[in-house]
This record gives sequence, C-alpha cells and structure tokens, in this order.
Amino acid sequence: MESTSSSALADLVRRAQQGEESAQHELIVSYQHRVAGFVYAMTGRSDYVEDLSQQVFIKMIRALDRLQAPAQFESWLFRLARNTCIDQLRRQKLRRIFLPFGEEHENIPEPAGAVDSEELDALRHALAQLRPQDRALLALVQEGRSHAEIAETLETSVAAVKARLHRAREHLREHYTPQS
Amino acid sequence: MKPEDHAWRSLQQHASAQLNSRFADRVLRAANGPCDKTWQSLRSHGAAQLRPGFAARVLRAARKLPGVPSLLDQFVFSAGTAIVCIVGTLYFHSRSLAIENERNLASWHQIAMFVQDADTGL
Repeated sequence: MESTSSSALADLVRRAQQGEESAQHELIVSYQHRVAGFVYAMTGRSDYVEDLSQQVFIKMIRALDRLQAPAQFESWLFRLARNTCIDQLRRQKLRRIFLPFGEEHENIPEPAGAVDSEELDALRHALAQLRPQDRALLALVQEGRSHAEIAETLETSVAAVKARLHRAREHLREHYTPQS
Repeated sequence: MKPEDHAWRSLQQHASAQLNSRFADRVLRAANGPCDKTWQSLRSHGAAQLRPGFAARVLRAARKLPGVPSLLDQFVFSAGTAIVCIVGTLYFHSRSLAIENERNLASWHQIAMFVQDADTGL
C-alpha cells in the first residue's frame, strides 16, 4: 500500500518536474497543511505562516527540475521549509541588530483567542526557547520523518540526529510548563 | 499515637498542602513533554492560517517571478563583466601613462630650453 502511494507520489513529482501545472497544483494542495504546520512550529507566529509557506512552495516549483530522486521529494521539501524558516529567523535577528526597534515591536503576542488552549500556548512558548535547528528537528519528528530521513534532510549522520533529538527533547521538557 | 507520629503527620499535611491541586498532571506533563494531541493542535493551528485558494496564489506568484538564469547565461554575464572591467582598466592605464609621458616631455623641454638659454648666455 505504502509503495503504491510512494510510486504515485514519485509519478506526481515527475509530472510536476515536466512543468505540468495540474501536478504542481496537486503537490501544493497535498502538502500545504503539513508545511504550514511546520512553519508555525518553527516561527510560533500565525502571521508568518502564509508568507513563508508561499516562499517554500515557490522555491519548490523553481527548483523541482533539479531534484534527482523524485522518491525523496518529502525530505527535500521539508529541507526547503526548514532552510526558509531558519533564513527568516536569521533575517529577523539581523533586523533587530540594525534597526532601532525593540524586541517588543518584533515579538507581538498572538491576539487573544488565536491559540485555543493553555497546552498549545505552553508548547509555543517552549519551542520559542529552543534553537531554530532544534525546533526543526522536533517538528520533523512530529511530521513522522524517520531518523534516517531526518539525517538525510539535515545532511548529517543518524547517530548525530539521535543525540541532538535527545537534547532537544530534554530542553523542550524543561521549558514546557502548562498553567492548567 | 506517639507525639513524634503526630508531628510527622502534620509535617506531611503541611508539605502536601503546598502542592498544586493538579500536581500529578503537571508532573506527568513535565516528565513526558507535550502530548501528541498538543503537537497535532499546533500543526492544525498553523494549517488553519492558510487562506482558501493558497495553491492557486502560489502558482500565480511563481509565474510572475522572472525565470532562474541558466548556467550559460550566468557564464556569459560573468565573462561580459570581466571583459568590461579589463577594457576599462587598460583604457585608464594607457590614458594615465600618456598623460605622464606628456608631463615628462614638457618638463624635459623646459630643461632643454633652460640649458640652451644658459649656453647662449655664455
């Protein structure tokens, strides 16, 4: 069953690589919610989600013909998403250095009702305390990616992924304190 | 009950009164980290931020952007830039050399005139 769906995905990716617009549309629709969730986990900001997700998919369309192995599309897409989010967070950090705006102008809290539970708010807060690389690691695990796939996405070894994941989980637990 | 037992019990009671009413829940949450449901709601919240028609908007935006230059285009552009730089450098170098020569000749001419005047004076 899984091999059928992965061959269907590889076929869809091949059609999209040939410039077939309906295939590109189908790819975006299939992955938009997962990418948006990943972006939200990385940035913790609702107002960044649409813009950054759009950037990720535009990069995907423009670089799709350079993807050698269509079967590895998912790892490749989440690598694009991870790098786009990390670039955005770096730019934000640089802007904070060079522009005379305080952190309170950048970190505008989510409006009331934007997050629907204390636990979700606590998770957002805990993720914000981690390094973006660690956030990406945890979000990739939540995406159901295996250690081997994450190692491929991050271009590192499986052992390194396991060690970093262990540390990231420890840090998340330290900062995760729901009030209720 | 012995007096020390009573003291122990009141110590326990005092200590347990310091705990939050949902102490066990909080300990479990802190020990296990966020549960799958919380992660799921984080992803759902992110996904809910996309406005309807997202895929169509992405495709429109991708079409509007200029195409990525090919390797050959990049090579031609780099070679053109390098040629312009070399020609510019050679031009300014030869021009400054010519000005320097003219200046040297003028000063030699002045010296020659001065020597000639001195000769005729003698």
